[in-house]
Amino acid sequence: MTGAPVRSAWVGRPTAGPREAAAWSTRRRMVTELRAVRGRAYPRLNGLFREKSWLLFEVLLPFLTTSAFVFVYRALQAPPEYVGFVVLGGAMTAFWLDVIWMMAHQLYLEKHQGNLELYFAAPMDVMSVLFGMAVGGLVISSLRAIVVLAVGTAVYGVTFSVTSWPLLVAVFVLTLASIYGLGMILASLFLMWGREAWHLTQLLTEPIYFVSGLNFPVGRLGLLGALAVATIPLAVGLDAMRQLAFSGAPSFGTPPPEIEALILVGMTVVYLAVARFSLGVLERLARREGRLTLRWQ
Amino acid sequence: MSTEVPAGAPAATRALGLGPIGLSGWDGFDPTRTRGRGWSDLWRSYRTAVRLGWEMEANWTDPLLFFIHSIAQPVSSALILIVMLEIVGGAASRELRGYVVTGSALWSIVISGVGGLAWSVLDDRETYRMLRYLYVSPSDFLVVLLGRGTARIAIGAMGASITLAVGIALLGIPFDPGRVNWPLLAVSMVLGLAAIVAGGVLMAAVCLHARQEAWSYPEAVAGALFLVTGAVFPLAVLPSAVQLVGLAMPLTWWLAAVRLALFPDGPSSLAGTGTAWAALAGPVPPDAGQTLFALLVTGALGMLAAAIVFRASERRAKDRGLLDQTTGS
Amino acid sequence: MSSVQRSVPAPQRERQPLPLAIAARGIRRVYRAKPAPVVALDGVDLEVAPGEFFGLLGPNGAGKTTLIKILTTLLSPTEGEARVFGFDVERETKQIRRIMNMVAGGEQSGYGILTVREQLWMFGQFYGLPGRDGWRRVDELIDALGLAGQRNQRVSTLSTGQRQAMNFARGLLNDPWILFLDEPTLGLDVSAARAVREIVVAWKRAVPGRTVLLTTHYMAEADELCERIAIVDRGRILALGTPAELRQRVQRESIFRIELDRLDGGPAVLARLPGVLRAVSATDEARDGTGEARQSVVVNLVLHEDAALGGVVVALGGLGAQILALRKSEPTLEDVFVELVGRGFEESADERPALEVGLPPAMPAGAHEAGEPGPDRVAR
Repeated sequence: MTGAPVRSAWVGRPTAGPREAAAWSTRRRMVTELRAVRGRAYPRLNGLFREKSWLLFEVLLPFLTTSAFVFVYRALQAPPEYVGFVVLGGAMTAFWLDVIWMMAHQLYLEKHQGNLELYFAAPMDVMSVLFGMAVGGLVISSLRAIVVLAVGTAVYGVTFSVTSWPLLVAVFVLTLASIYGLGMILASLFLMWGREAWHLTQLLTEPIYFVSGLNFPVGRLGLLGALAVATIPLAVGLDAMRQLAFSGAPSFGTPPPEIEALILVGMTVVYLAVARFSLGVLERLARREGRLTLRWQ
Repeated sequence: MSTEVPAGAPAATRALGLGPIGLSGWDGFDPTRTRGRGWSDLWRSYRTAVRLGWEMEANWTDPLLFFIHSIAQPVSSALILIVMLEIVGGAASRELRGYVVTGSALWSIVISGVGGLAWSVLDDRETYRMLRYLYVSPSDFLVVLLGRGTARIAIGAMGASITLAVGIALLGIPFDPGRVNWPLLAVSMVLGLAAIVAGGVLMAAVCLHARQEAWSYPEAVAGALFLVTGAVFPLAVLPSAVQLVGLAMPLTWWLAAVRLALFPDGPSSLAGTGTAWAALAGPVPPDAGQTLFALLVTGALGMLAAAIVFRASERRAKDRGLLDQTTGS
Repeated sequence: MSSVQRSVPAPQRERQPLPLAIAARGIRRVYRAKPAPVVALDGVDLEVAPGEFFGLLGPNGAGKTTLIKILTTLLSPTEGEARVFGFDVERETKQIRRIMNMVAGGEQSGYGILTVREQLWMFGQFYGLPGRDGWRRVDELIDALGLAGQRNQRVSTLSTGQRQAMNFARGLLNDPWILFLDEPTLGLDVSAARAVREIVVAWKRAVPGRTVLLTTHYMAEADELCERIAIVDRGRILALGTPAELRQRVQRESIFRIELDRLDGGPAVLARLPGVLRAVSATDEARDGTGEARQSVVVNLVLHEDAALGGVVVALGGLGAQILALRKSEPTLEDVFVELVGRGFEESADERPALEVGLPPAMPAGAHEAGEPGPDRVAR
C-alpha cells in the first residue's frame, strides 16, 4: 500500500505489506503479551462485579470448611498453635484451588466454549492468557485468604509471632509464583487430556491437601513429607510460612525457612521454564492430533 | 435447473402406500401422542438418564485410573483427619478415630450427591449445550437430573465403602459385623440418600442461575455442612446456636444413624454435657427410633423445600432465558 | 562517446513481489479415529494470489474446514507443506497469526458476561492494540457493522445475526492481510446472510489488496463473492476456476428460453439458423404479470455461442414474431459438482470414486485453463 494512511473503521495501523506487518519488534511483542494479560484478566475481574454469588460460595462458605478443621483440633484439645496451622492452611487453599480450577482446568473449558482456537489463532502467547486468568482469580483468592486469616484470627484467637516479615512476604510471593507455574504445566497437559482434565483436577485436591500438610505440619508425614517438600510448592511454601509465622512451634524435621525459600526459588524457575516448554510442545502435539478444536475429547 | 414436484404427487405417493404427505403409515395427527404414560415415562426417563450419567462418568479413562480417582478423594480426606488425630495423640484421638473415618467416608457420598445434580446442570448448559434440548423433551427435567446425579452418587458410595474398608482393615477401627444393626443401616441409608439428593436439587436450582465458575459451589456448600453436621467431630464442640442449626439438618441425623448402626458403642455426635440435644431432650443420646424419626422429619422438610425451590428456580430461569445461554469469564 | 561508455542509469531497486497469499502443496490430513482413520484431506494443491477473493465450495465433510484450520495454524498437516504470504504454517505460526484473522459460522465463542464492546476490546488486547486506541477501533467497527444499538448489551443476549456481526468485528480488529471465513453465513436468515456478504465486500473494497479465503456450501454465495473457486469433495480439489469457467465445464453452449407471441413454422424454423444447435418447444405454460396463462409460444434455444442470438432476433423480426420474454439459462455450480462427482450436495457420498478433472500439479494464479484436460490423475 502506498500513499497517505487511510483513516477508517476498516483500517487499523497501515503497513506497507503483509511481510512488514508480520515483523514485530521485541518491544511490540512484549507489550502485546502484557496487553493480552490485561485483556484476559478483564472478563474475570468484570465478572466479580456482575455476579456476586462468589462472595458467598467462594469466600464465606470455604471459611466454614476451614472452621470445621479448627473444631476437630478443639475436639482433640490440641495445642493452640495447631489452630493457627489450620487457619494458615485454609488461607493458602484458596490459591491452590484458583490454580487448578481457574487456570489449569480453564483451557479445557475454553475449548468447549470455542475460545481456545481464537486464542491460538491470535499472535499472543498462551502463557499470557494463563497469566491473565491467574490475575483475575487472584482477586477472589486473596479476598478469601484475607477473610480466613482475619476472621480466623479474631474468632479463634490465633496469635502470630512472625520472626521475619520480609522473608515471610518473600516466601508467600515465591509460593504463589511456583504454584502458578505448576498450574501452567497442568494447563498444558489438560490441553491433551481433555475430559480427563476435570477428573484429574479433582484428583489434585484432597490428595494434595494431604501431602502438603494443609491442616498439619508436613514434617509429620516423614518421608512422604520430605518428598512433598521437595516437589510440591504448596507444601514447602506452607511449611516455611508456618515456621515464620509461628516462631515458637516445633519444626518437625523440615528444613529451616531460609532453605525452603531457596527451594521455592528453584521451583519457580523450573516450573515456569517447564511451563513455557510444555505449552509449546503440547500445542504442537495438540495441533498434530487435532485436539485444539475437537470438542468433548 | 430446478426440480419440481410433479402435479400428481399426492396420488403418486398414495399409490406407493405412503400417506397424504408422503410418510409411511401415518395418516394424520394422532392426539393420543400428547398423552404421557405416567410412571412408565418417568421410569424410562430416569433409567436413560442414569445410563447417560454412568457413560459420562465412567468412560473418561481406563478402569484403573477411574478406580484410583474414585477412592483417592475419600481416602485422602480420611488420612488428613487420621494424621491430625495422631499428631495430637491421647485418649480423645483414639476414641475419635472410628468416628472421623466413618464421617469422612460418608462425606464422599454427600459431595457426590450435592454436587452431582449441580454439575450436571453446568455440564449440560456450558459444555455440551444440551440443557435446552433436555428441557424441551417430554421427560421431566428434574427426573433427568436425578438420573444423571445417580451415577455420581453411586461412584461416591463406592469410594465411601472402600474408605470404610481401608479404615477397618488398616487403621485399626474396631468393627464387629455381628453387632451391626442392618435394618437401621438400610433404612437410614435410604432416608439419608433422599436427603442428600434434596441437597443436590437445591444446588442445581442455584446453578441454573449461576455462571460457569459455579463448579466449586457444591463443594463449598458441602464444606459448610461439614462444620455443622457432626461429620468429623461431635456437635458438643460447637457453640449452642450452631448446634441447633446442626440438629435441623437431615445430614446430622443420617450420620448419627449410620454410626449407631455400624458402631453401636461408639461416641455420639449429638449428646453430651452442655449440648443443645441435652438441653432439649436430656443427657441420654438419641436411640435408633428417635434418630430415624428426626431423619425422616428433617429429610421430608428438606425434600419439600428443595422441590419448591427447584420449580421456582426453573420458572425464573425460563423467564429470564437462562436455560440455553452460556456464561463464562 | 561510444555506446559502451555512455552512462547507464543505475538499475532501479526492484520491488520484491509479494509471495502468494496461500501456497499449499500436497496437503494431506488424516485423523486417527475409531473404527478407521479418517482422511480429511487427500493431497491438496492450492495457490491463492494476494488480493484475491477465493472460495472453497463443497458439501459437508469435504475437508474445507480442515484446510482452513491448517492454514490458520490450528492444525498440522499429516503430509505436505503450506505457506501464508511465504510463512510456513508449521514453523512460522506467530508471523501468520499477526497478519491473519478468521471468522466461522455458527460460532458461539465469547464470554456471555461481557458486553459487545468489552468482548471486542478484550480480543483487541490479544492483538496488541493499545488500550485507548483499542476502544476507539472497537467503537468504529461496532458502528460500521451496525451494532451501535447492541454496544452495551451482554454477548449472551445477542441474536444469531448480531453475534455473527460481532464475530466479524473481532475478525477485522487487527486489520488482517488475509481473512479466513469458514461458512460465515451458516445459520443466518436471508437478510442477515446478505448483511454479512455486504460487510465482506465493503471491507475488501475499502482496503484493497486484502485476501479472503471463503469456505461455503452455498453455491450462490460462492458465485456472488468469489473471483475463483475450488470445488472440493472428500479431501480433494476436483476443479478450479472462475465461476464462469466452472460452469462452462458442463455447458459449453448458450441456452436461452424465448417467449414469442407467435412463431410461424414452429421451432424448426429457428433450428435452421446459423449458430443454432437446437430449438425445441418448452412444455411449461407462460404466465403474464397477473399469473394468468397467456397465449404465446415458448422455445428453448441451444446456441453455439451467445453471439448467435443476434441472428435469431433478426430472423424472428423477419417472421413477424414479437419477443415477449428472453432469459438465459445457466447451469449452477451444483450442476458442476454433479458433473464432476456424480451426486448432488445433499446426497450422501457413495462408493464410486470421484471423477477428477485433470489439473496441472502447480498452477500459477490465473494461468489455469478451465475446461482443458490436464494430465490424468490417479485417484488416491
